[in-house]
Amino acid sequence: MQTFLRYSRKMILTAVVVFCFTTLILLIAGAPPFAAYYHIFKGSLGSWSKIAHVITVWIPLTLCASGLLYTFRIGLWNIGVEGQMIMGAIFSTALLRFGIESHQPAVFLGLSFFAGAMGGGIWAFFAGFLKTKGGVHEIFAGLGLNFVAQGIILYLIFGPWKRPGVASMSGTEVFPQTLWLPFLSTIRLSPVGLVLALAAVMVTAWMLRYTWVGLGLKAIGKNQYAAFLFGLKPGRYMLLAMAFAGGFAGLAGCLQVAGIYHRLIPAISSNYGYLSLLVVMLSNYNVWVAPGVAFFFACLNIGSIQLPMMLRVDSSLSGVIQGALVLATLAIYAWQTRNKQKERQN
Amino acid sequence: MRIELRNIHKYYGPVKANAGISLTIRSGTIHGILGENGAGKSTLMKILAGFSRKTRGTVSLNGSPMTYKTPAQASRLGIGMLYQEPLDFPVLSVLENFMVGLTGNISDRNTPHRQIFEQLAKDLGFNLPPNAIVKNLTIGERQQLEILRLLGLGIEVLILDEPTTGISSMQREALFKALEQLASEGKSIVLVSHKLEDIEALCDSVTVLRLGRVSGEMSKPFDTNTLLEMIFGILPVQPTCVETQPGKTVLVMDCVTATGGRAGLKKCDVTVRQGEIIGLAGLEGSGQGLFLRLASGLVQPKQGAVFLQKSKMNGKDYHAFKHAGVTFLPTARLEEGLIPGLNIAEHFALQNRKGFYVNSPEAFKQAKKSIEKFRIKGQPVFPVESLSGGNQQRLLLSFIPDDPVLLLLEKPTRGLDMESALWVWEHLQKFCAGKTSILFSSSDLEEILMMAHRVWVFFNGKIVKDTMISDTDIHELKSAIAGII
Amino acid sequence: MFKKMGLALSIFFMLVFMGFLCLRPGFGAEKPFQFGLLLVGPYNDHGWSQAHFEAGEYVQKKLPGAKMIYIDKVNPADRQGITIPQLVDDMVEKGIKLIIANSDDMKDGTREAAKMHPDIHFLHISGDDVLTGKASGNLSNLMGRMEYGKMMAGFAAAMTTKTGKIGYLGPLINEETRRLVASSYLGAKYAWEKVLKKDPKELTFKVTWIGFWFNIPGVTADPTKVAQNFFNTGYDVLISGIDTTEAVVVAKQKKQEGKMVWAIPYDYIGACEGASDVCLGVPYFNWGPGYLEFIQASIAGKWKSNWIWMGPDWKNINDPDTSTVGFKPGPALSSSAKKALDSFISDLGTKKVNLFEGPLYYQDGSIFLKDGEIATDKKIWYMEQLLKGMLGQSSAK
Repeated sequence: MQTFLRYSRKMILTAVVVFCFTTLILLIAGAPPFAAYYHIFKGSLGSWSKIAHVITVWIPLTLCASGLLYTFRIGLWNIGVEGQMIMGAIFSTALLRFGIESHQPAVFLGLSFFAGAMGGGIWAFFAGFLKTKGGVHEIFAGLGLNFVAQGIILYLIFGPWKRPGVASMSGTEVFPQTLWLPFLSTIRLSPVGLVLALAAVMVTAWMLRYTWVGLGLKAIGKNQYAAFLFGLKPGRYMLLAMAFAGGFAGLAGCLQVAGIYHRLIPAISSNYGYLSLLVVMLSNYNVWVAPGVAFFFACLNIGSIQLPMMLRVDSSLSGVIQGALVLATLAIYAWQTRNKQKERQN
Repeated sequence: MRIELRNIHKYYGPVKANAGISLTIRSGTIHGILGENGAGKSTLMKILAGFSRKTRGTVSLNGSPMTYKTPAQASRLGIGMLYQEPLDFPVLSVLENFMVGLTGNISDRNTPHRQIFEQLAKDLGFNLPPNAIVKNLTIGERQQLEILRLLGLGIEVLILDEPTTGISSMQREALFKALEQLASEGKSIVLVSHKLEDIEALCDSVTVLRLGRVSGEMSKPFDTNTLLEMIFGILPVQPTCVETQPGKTVLVMDCVTATGGRAGLKKCDVTVRQGEIIGLAGLEGSGQGLFLRLASGLVQPKQGAVFLQKSKMNGKDYHAFKHAGVTFLPTARLEEGLIPGLNIAEHFALQNRKGFYVNSPEAFKQAKKSIEKFRIKGQPVFPVESLSGGNQQRLLLSFIPDDPVLLLLEKPTRGLDMESALWVWEHLQKFCAGKTSILFSSSDLEEILMMAHRVWVFFNGKIVKDTMISDTDIHELKSAIAGII
Repeated sequence: MFKKMGLALSIFFMLVFMGFLCLRPGFGAEKPFQFGLLLVGPYNDHGWSQAHFEAGEYVQKKLPGAKMIYIDKVNPADRQGITIPQLVDDMVEKGIKLIIANSDDMKDGTREAAKMHPDIHFLHISGDDVLTGKASGNLSNLMGRMEYGKMMAGFAAAMTTKTGKIGYLGPLINEETRRLVASSYLGAKYAWEKVLKKDPKELTFKVTWIGFWFNIPGVTADPTKVAQNFFNTGYDVLISGIDTTEAVVVAKQKKQEGKMVWAIPYDYIGACEGASDVCLGVPYFNWGPGYLEFIQASIAGKWKSNWIWMGPDWKNINDPDTSTVGFKPGPALSSSAKKALDSFISDLGTKKVNLFEGPLYYQDGSIFLKDGEIATDKKIWYMEQLLKGMLGQSSAK
């Protein structure tokens, strides 16, 4: 109970700090802060269809966040999650293209999940391979591979996968509706995506808690050398963690293609990869908290579109709030640790 | 500077680390603080050095009570502490490390730090290359650097926490000489140790702590038995070397050369037989550490062959060695041996990987059993970093499988108090009866003479002496360590 | 304890949400006719999107009961993760009855949204879903006959160029952009051969495509660099086909550096502002009349799914109430060129001159229009390639 109180205290404190900060920003921007909050709120949770939109953003965020939990657990900064998502989208688009002429579109739709996970997994595996065999830090490998993935997607959209007679960065031809992920027509939400995201959280929680993979990742993350002496093979675990992260990110990319855009566009990843890094950090690397934070971020993303529409304020405010949240959390965490130390000493 | 500690209390939650300690340290003297692990020595010194804050009590410097809250404030008052683990920047050079803290701002850059450094080093007889990168230095050299840095800050009181742990006997002598010189210049030296011989060799007076209180004080000349009684309450029993008949060949190194450490290892030819206990002596970084890592498969030989029970192990990795019955325990317990952040039960789980799921209840049971058997002060859910050094070492020992073929121990009793060290050896000797061979390195010649059947002396990457303990004595070994055969 | 925190978070959100449901303001009361406008670029881009934005304001002025809600920068690069159907859902919730999507890029999303909301009217600008039969009954298409504006632009460019090299800053390649570039070329060719009576071989007309309607850093080619490249390689007049104003901006810089260069922006009547010394004029859209027609039809319940291609009002191509396409001559256009342009415009209006008359050949030499053949609307709308004599890509490689 005491810990619960402490954490709710921390949460409230964070919220207050961020609230003050964003209010200040809004005042500087010349927008009425309370109206802004009201619109963000209403724009994200004001109706069932809006909640459905929020969930469509929550799904890729949660998938990426679940994957990142593996890499964070072993102490890797998988910043390449963005590129992994893109590659997942590319792989599943490639597969869906085969399905256009097919009489069994559902088969291709199903296979596209595997293709997406494979695409992301392979891309992550590259980064992991560069890290374990080449000694390239995973942040640099990941960033490099992000650029490569971005290059590949642009090339494909402008080149081999262009619409007939058209050379545009706006994306490939839309898939026939048979290749769209089935969705609930009233709220435009794909139950498959929702199930996959929830499953990802469950699987991740279970893997990290009860299996060797989880304990091994944790041990290596805490002390790679000692874990090695205990007989674990850090290289293999790193590749495994990367493959998991990439697989989940690739799945998110696949859902973006099959469930949201129904085609490949240059911004298919929508920066959800980077955003999910923030989600995981803010949730203190906890598998049960991450979906909640992801939901909150999704609310901000969806709700903030109301700002330009209703108040003529730029919607990048949501980014400011998200960034401020992470910073405030880190600051409060640091402050608390210091307090705790003081407490212990006095 | 004259230091008076009056009625110092320090509570960590319900634990009373210091319960009303009072002592006086006169200027120009070397004052020893003696006690078992957990007696409250480090806590007291950390309070004196401003590293942690006391719960109650007063600290007076030259008669006036002072309050300070940080090590920086303490060093401005002239108090500096040399910690057990070096607090330097491993990737910087010696000179850069020396300058850290001295340079208040950029404009200070032109002050001739190099001259100051070289002068200080010369005065104390330390031989440190200013441009060497710190991570390549031995622990002893890093210690010297830290002392020079503190002197550069102008400290008057130097606190040393277990300074002779992990350094060679030559470095120890150099250190002692330097400390004596500093004391003669009027500086106060506080030496924290659990080693009687250090205290007896160096100190003018000593305060013995036990269970957070002062259990006795003594000035030169010291009486060992009285001191031991102050430390332990009752005298511990010394174990003796178990005699065994060496059996079959376990490990053979055939003209092995490898690189690593400071000196590498050159053309090493040795044979280890079943049941043997072999002590590896030598200055820090003379090849003992590398030898142990070669024998455990952590390092691959450049030339030569390694045989383990007749099969050639070249090219095989650590896991193959481990599988073949080789167990290696590194000296840096929290850095290499244990995984901070994991609890005791999780460590046991890691030992015994089967299937897909972690068998937590089983690991918990095993942890509980070992905690009892190895008398570890802790619970299965305790994170390992919360254990004291001695308990960490007990935990590490509990990981040794029941019948290892070859045990490789790097300084197994480093940083342990006498009682813990004796307990460790009692436990280790049981393995020899089961035909295990033990190779251990130690900077404590007494330990080698007492425990080993055989000793190898390493000098500059070579084994310069390989002899039975019964055929040698401490002086011969000391000169061999210094390269004189 | 983190589990508890997660639980707390969930409870927090639930409470907030429930609070919301209670607080939702009631609808009802007298509501004006609300129409929504989805702009692909910034509402003040001095180009395509601003022309639409001002048309929306024009409608509000002309139709006191109408109220516009707009959102700009609707493209996946600026508003990541936001899709057209999502925005439409939101607008419908806000009580909007008619939604105008102003970009070719929104074609698929608009079509999808129109299917989902059959009782809401959709107007997709520049699209052809009605022509192709893909549109549902509540979706219409509107476009202006910018071909004429582009012919005038090409004409003015050819009358002005000293080097005989005219550049065209193209967006992405599709039917619309192909026919607009071709029109510019035809206008330039007419001026060069029929008015100036110069050798056709001395006229160079080149298009470079950037890949989208405006600059998306890292995704498209940078239009500023493309424009600089034109001017640095001897092209002295640059016609813009993109939504934004890079062509005039770069031309102005080059002029200040002492180069004799000109540019012709696009889309928005005010695009020449601030660049009077280089701007030869601007072919612009005046969407107001078109918008008004559709919105009035929607209010009156006379909506019909239509594909409308509105032309200039030849009586006065710059009449804001009647002419959908206009050309506003710029200060840098010489008076003689302006006189020639005026007579060219009146010839176009009287059909004395029809530039889409055969023989015309595609870039690869195949026949576009046979000798004497006059192009139908459909033939122009669906041009497959650039015309023979033009430099640049006809379609993607």
